[in-house]
Amino acid sequence: MARSPNLSRRGFIMSVMTFAGSIMGIVVGLPVIGFLISPALNVTKSDAWVPVGKLDSYPVGVPTPFSFTRTKVNGWEKTVNSISVFVLRDATDKVRVFSSVCTHLGCRVTFHKDSNEFICPCHDAHFNKDGGVVSGPPPRPLDQYESKVENGALLIHVIQS
Amino acid sequence: MNDLQKAQYKEKYLRAKRNGEKFFPDSLYRDMLVMFAIFLLLVGLAAFVGVAAEPKADPSDTAYIPRPEWYFLFLFEMLKFFPGSLEWVGTTVIPVAAVFALLLLPFYDKNPARHWKKRKFAIGFMSVVVAAMVFLTIRAVVTTPAQENAGAVATTLPAQISAGQDIYSVQCAECHGAEGEGGVIKGVKGLEGYKMKAINSQDEMYTRMDDTLYNIVEYGQPDLGMPPFGKAFGGELSRSDIDNLVTFMRYTWDNRVEVPKGAAQTNAIPALGPNDIPSYDVNIAPIVKRYCVSCHRPGKENNNYYMGSYSDLMNSGDHKPNIVAGDLNSNLIRMLHGEKIEAGGAMPPTKALSPDLISIFERWVKAGAPEKPAK
Amino acid sequence: MISKRMYPWLDERLGLSGIYKTVLDRMVPKVNWWFTLGSATLFLFALQVVTGIMLSAYYVPSPDKAYDSIQYIMNGVAFGWLIRGIHHWGATLMVITVFLHMLRVFFYAAYKYPREITWTTGVFLLLATLGMGFTGYLLPWDQKAYWATTVGTSIAGTVPGIGEFILRALRGGSDLSGVTLARFFSAHIWMFPAIIIALIGVHIYLVIRIGISSVPKEND
Repeated sequence: MARSPNLSRRGFIMSVMTFAGSIMGIVVGLPVIGFLISPALNVTKSDAWVPVGKLDSYPVGVPTPFSFTRTKVNGWEKTVNSISVFVLRDATDKVRVFSSVCTHLGCRVTFHKDSNEFICPCHDAHFNKDGGVVSGPPPRPLDQYESKVENGALLIHVIQS
Repeated sequence: MNDLQKAQYKEKYLRAKRNGEKFFPDSLYRDMLVMFAIFLLLVGLAAFVGVAAEPKADPSDTAYIPRPEWYFLFLFEMLKFFPGSLEWVGTTVIPVAAVFALLLLPFYDKNPARHWKKRKFAIGFMSVVVAAMVFLTIRAVVTTPAQENAGAVATTLPAQISAGQDIYSVQCAECHGAEGEGGVIKGVKGLEGYKMKAINSQDEMYTRMDDTLYNIVEYGQPDLGMPPFGKAFGGELSRSDIDNLVTFMRYTWDNRVEVPKGAAQTNAIPALGPNDIPSYDVNIAPIVKRYCVSCHRPGKENNNYYMGSYSDLMNSGDHKPNIVAGDLNSNLIRMLHGEKIEAGGAMPPTKALSPDLISIFERWVKAGAPEKPAK
Repeated sequence: MISKRMYPWLDERLGLSGIYKTVLDRMVPKVNWWFTLGSATLFLFALQVVTGIMLSAYYVPSPDKAYDSIQYIMNGVAFGWLIRGIHHWGATLMVITVFLHMLRVFFYAAYKYPREITWTTGVFLLLATLGMGFTGYLLPWDQKAYWATTVGTSIAGTVPGIGEFILRALRGGSDLSGVTLARFFSAHIWMFPAIIIALIGVHIYLVIRIGISSVPKEND
């Protein structure tokens, strides 16, 4: 194959353009991707023992709601997250603290006294008083918080990621 | 498609084009008509249906039932059918597969035929999918439980001030007084006899920003005896409620702010002409709401006398009837005048109603305590 | 007449008669009313662009201000209710017309040779339209918006393996916050519209170059 000088000149220009183009593409493109997803890469974990009131204030045998807020930094914003839990105290003062976040897709469950169940309104999931799945799509029982009692006050271990 | 079929298609298409019409004006005419119809429909929807007002985002209101936009409902509903451990099939596999099936459709559908009779599988399959989507959407709409407390949303400043007034009267007045004047608390469990400072003073209003007022209401000041009112802390008020309440306080008690037109009227207790006959709906309900309901509602110490509705006002309470039509010796009237009787002491306990308001009650009772205004 | 003398002058420089010939004065097969859905969608998109630009004159994408700015648009600004009403309902109608347009193309087999790429760009347009719907839903920062997006993004979080990462990337952090609102706003008014306008360009270029399909006959 005879190589005409013309063609190799074209080839040269093409490769220079390709080279310059890819350099520019990479130098701009990668930072742009990093720029957009950067908040997703910053994973900070925090944990704290949060007081949720006196143990005696919770009735025995009935899951009782308690809400509190935790502040977390998201980018430039201090987001105030509202966390609500259900405290279930039994006769021996053993305490279980359930998260109100449905384990299916994160809607909030409410406790219905008439049927003695937690019900999630999104996909009609039912959990029993002990957090176990009765019916509906949730993959696992309601999440529980670790808890302890100090000087009559109930504290729960809140881990935020 | 092989080359022969391609050539055949081109041939047929050319013929269809030759026997066809001009894009302009023939086709474009139909397009324009449809566009115009859509435009009219849109303006009609905007004018007559509008956009429903929703309360402000409230992360602490966990009772709110989340719903996606209607065209995502079928996806949302579909997730009901995937048990926990297979959740990812519904959320990931099926949507991703559907997108790829659509994108690559022309490349795997090798059937060269175009008429529906020769594409029965493709047409049938798509019809089933569409029917399933429609079915799921309808099912989602039907099975959605109604939103709780889906009340009217106050969207204008006068409406917000008025909503704030109502909230103040119910939630705050029993301790802080009907006008924020404070005084010695009577009849409130745990705070009996506590001397409450005025919150409608210049001192208060000039030194507390809206944010501060908001936080005091939401979080309370438990060490000073004020309970939290925000939903996040176990109270009854949502974000919008507290916002309205703060707006009411600011526009009513802060003499630096300019009250917008119309705000004063919505708030006022209706004036009564010398010959008018007062009625519950028009005259009594606003007074009762502002000065009485704060304590006279379920869950408070009030001898079971509730004043939230006409029938309760007339017929509830341990010493009922507290109002007898035509009888100025009714319990209610005597207590408004500060008499101490078997049913209780002076009402309201901290500060008597103004003579004007008491006379409205008297005229109403004398006229037979009607519920609806006379026509 | 000035216009009579102006036209040749302009045509010589702008090539107007060339545009007229290729875009407007072309033969198309005789088709039915279902074939108006594409132009109807384009029309709705144009309306969304115009009303959207108008709304951005008052809207503030911040959790503190977004809700109030929309209340102001609805109640304070003259014809705000009309502009927002058209934008709101236009979105709903646009999803409907896009969907029906796609079904029309499918049932008439118009995606087949030689219009495969027209179809592919169309599918991307459908996805971008849904993306517009999803991002636009959050902007009013009301209860419906907040909770739908909370759940919507957590659905993305159930993707096996990378779900957690997708959720953070969508929300711009682990919680729904002002950062989320800002990036949804950016996606809604810049990223998706840029993608949509580029794709519409290709889509329409192909429609004019290849010509609209005809209604299939029994022997097709």
